[in-house]
Amino acid sequence: MVAPNHQQGDEPAFPAGGGEAGRLIRNFDWSTTSLGPMSGWPQSLKTMTHMLLLSPVPIVLLWGEDGVMIYNDAYSGFAGSRHPQLLGSKVREGWDEIADFNDNVMKVGLSGGTLAYENQQLTLFRRGKPEQVWMNLDYSPVPDESGKPAGVMAIVVETTQRVLAEQKLRESEERFRALTTATSDIIYRASADWSEMRQLDGRGHLTDIDSPVMAWQDLYLLPEDRAEVEEAIAQAVRDRSVLQYEHRVRQADGATGWVLTRAVPILDEAGEIIEWFGAATDVTDRRRHEEHLRLVVHELNHRVKNNLAMTQAIAAQTFRNVTDLKESQQRFSQRMVALGQANDLLTGERWVGASLIGAIRQSIHPHCPEEHRCGVDGDDIKLSPKTALALTLAMHELATNALKYGAWSDPSGRVTVASSTYKAPDGSGRIRIEWRESDGPPVSPPQRRGFGSTLIERGLAREMGGEVKMDFQPEGLVCIIDAPESLYANS
Amino acid sequence: MPTAEVPLRILVVEDEMTIAMLVEDMLVELGHQVIDLAMRLPRAAELASTADLDLAILDVNLDGRKSFPVAEILGERGIPFIFATGYGPSGLDPAYQGHPVLTKPFLVEELDAAIAGLGLTGEES
Repeated sequence: MVAPNHQQGDEPAFPAGGGEAGRLIRNFDWSTTSLGPMSGWPQSLKTMTHMLLLSPVPIVLLWGEDGVMIYNDAYSGFAGSRHPQLLGSKVREGWDEIADFNDNVMKVGLSGGTLAYENQQLTLFRRGKPEQVWMNLDYSPVPDESGKPAGVMAIVVETTQRVLAEQKLRESEERFRALTTATSDIIYRASADWSEMRQLDGRGHLTDIDSPVMAWQDLYLLPEDRAEVEEAIAQAVRDRSVLQYEHRVRQADGATGWVLTRAVPILDEAGEIIEWFGAATDVTDRRRHEEHLRLVVHELNHRVKNNLAMTQAIAAQTFRNVTDLKESQQRFSQRMVALGQANDLLTGERWVGASLIGAIRQSIHPHCPEEHRCGVDGDDIKLSPKTALALTLAMHELATNALKYGAWSDPSGRVTVASSTYKAPDGSGRIRIEWRESDGPPVSPPQRRGFGSTLIERGLAREMGGEVKMDFQPEGLVCIIDAPESLYANS
Repeated sequence: MPTAEVPLRILVVEDEMTIAMLVEDMLVELGHQVIDLAMRLPRAAELASTADLDLAILDVNLDGRKSFPVAEILGERGIPFIFATGYGPSGLDPAYQGHPVLTKPFLVEELDAAIAGLGLTGEES
């Protein structure tokens, strides 16, 4: 009989092999445990110990009521820093953080029952700190010579890595699902060569596809765009690169819209395309705004050119037959200011038209010497931008003439402008605008027609489609404009 | 200033009062005769259909309405016309791409050259 405690080089022969765990077990002083020295172990315990040491699977044997622990190398790897103190300890004490769990294991096992846990989650202290681990645990009773359960054998396979990986994958899938749900983008899947559209969530913009459709191009593309969209797709397929393309689409409601589509190829391990996953943003509004902006810029350019042509025309008139260059230059500057103000009036009304009274007031007010010497009143009508502009320039000419030669050239003269609408004998609406100067210096008709008179008599009359009469009465100038009310007003 | 060898009877269609006066003066200066001025589409269409004329100068935008119907009437009557517009050639209806166009503002010399480019002799009238 070999002594349980032994000297160096006098290691017991049992259990043979078993690597590191085998050596520890051989050298352990089992007399300090309820198992007693190895020499007294029943054959069943010896056989189990030998068997588990030869197994590559992590196995621990919990022997006796205390569940004294005997395990193999595979298990010590799992036990971490708890090994080697764990060897020979009572399972409830050795794994004190899960004592309740092991208490149940012992009770069930020693009464002949088995337990099996798959991906059982436990919190273990294996590296000095709490750690969430998952394990597949299988417990079976081990009978001794009497045939009664004397211990419990546990096969312990840690599945933490796999569980975490699965969890990560699940979370990633959930995030992906949330993303595709949260986005307002159209989401789709197409086959590797785009011959079929497998699924498309149109988000109300496009027709949904729930099962693969071959003729998807007919459903979504305009016939005239088809070739270029298909070429962009073919290019992406050849390059196995991201497809990004902005194109027109047939919307679910039948209207034509625009989408910015982006699709990425899903590749297999060999780098071959499995399918395409894509998202498309509805950019119809943006395209509409861009188009609108383009038109606005085009229109603005036209107006600038037109204003330059007007400037050219006013310059030609102002500098025709010049006798006093300095005065002509001054008149020209004033006319430019009037033109600028007329533009203000129109932009203030967003170029959709201006009021007659407003246009007159704005054009003559800057020239009026004193508030009480200027009266503008009467029926108001809406003028088209063009008519308002012409009237503004004409009123400017009348006002500057009044200031230089007429009622406003002395301290007491007055100008009143009165507008009235009335019905012509044929029932059509007409407007009459009367410019009347009074209490100013005596007036005599001018020697020759200046730009102002020409503009009013030649231009404004035709602009308003009516008649304009300038009457140089001795008491003051009277200018009467009589025109159809609605003909040129914007309706 | 050049004077036309053959005075032409010209209709001016222009909705801007000051520009209309300028174009009229330019044409008179070139020795032509302005038979009438139309500032809005209905009057322009009426004159294009009925007036006795050799040529028309056509503004494109008549107080917000395009003058292409007037161009069509003139075309049917075989009366030549030149567009005069701040939009330039890009503002023309596709049907009139390549048609003579003066971009505003323009010089009297450009107007003269555009008229000369039509190769009108005035003999047919």
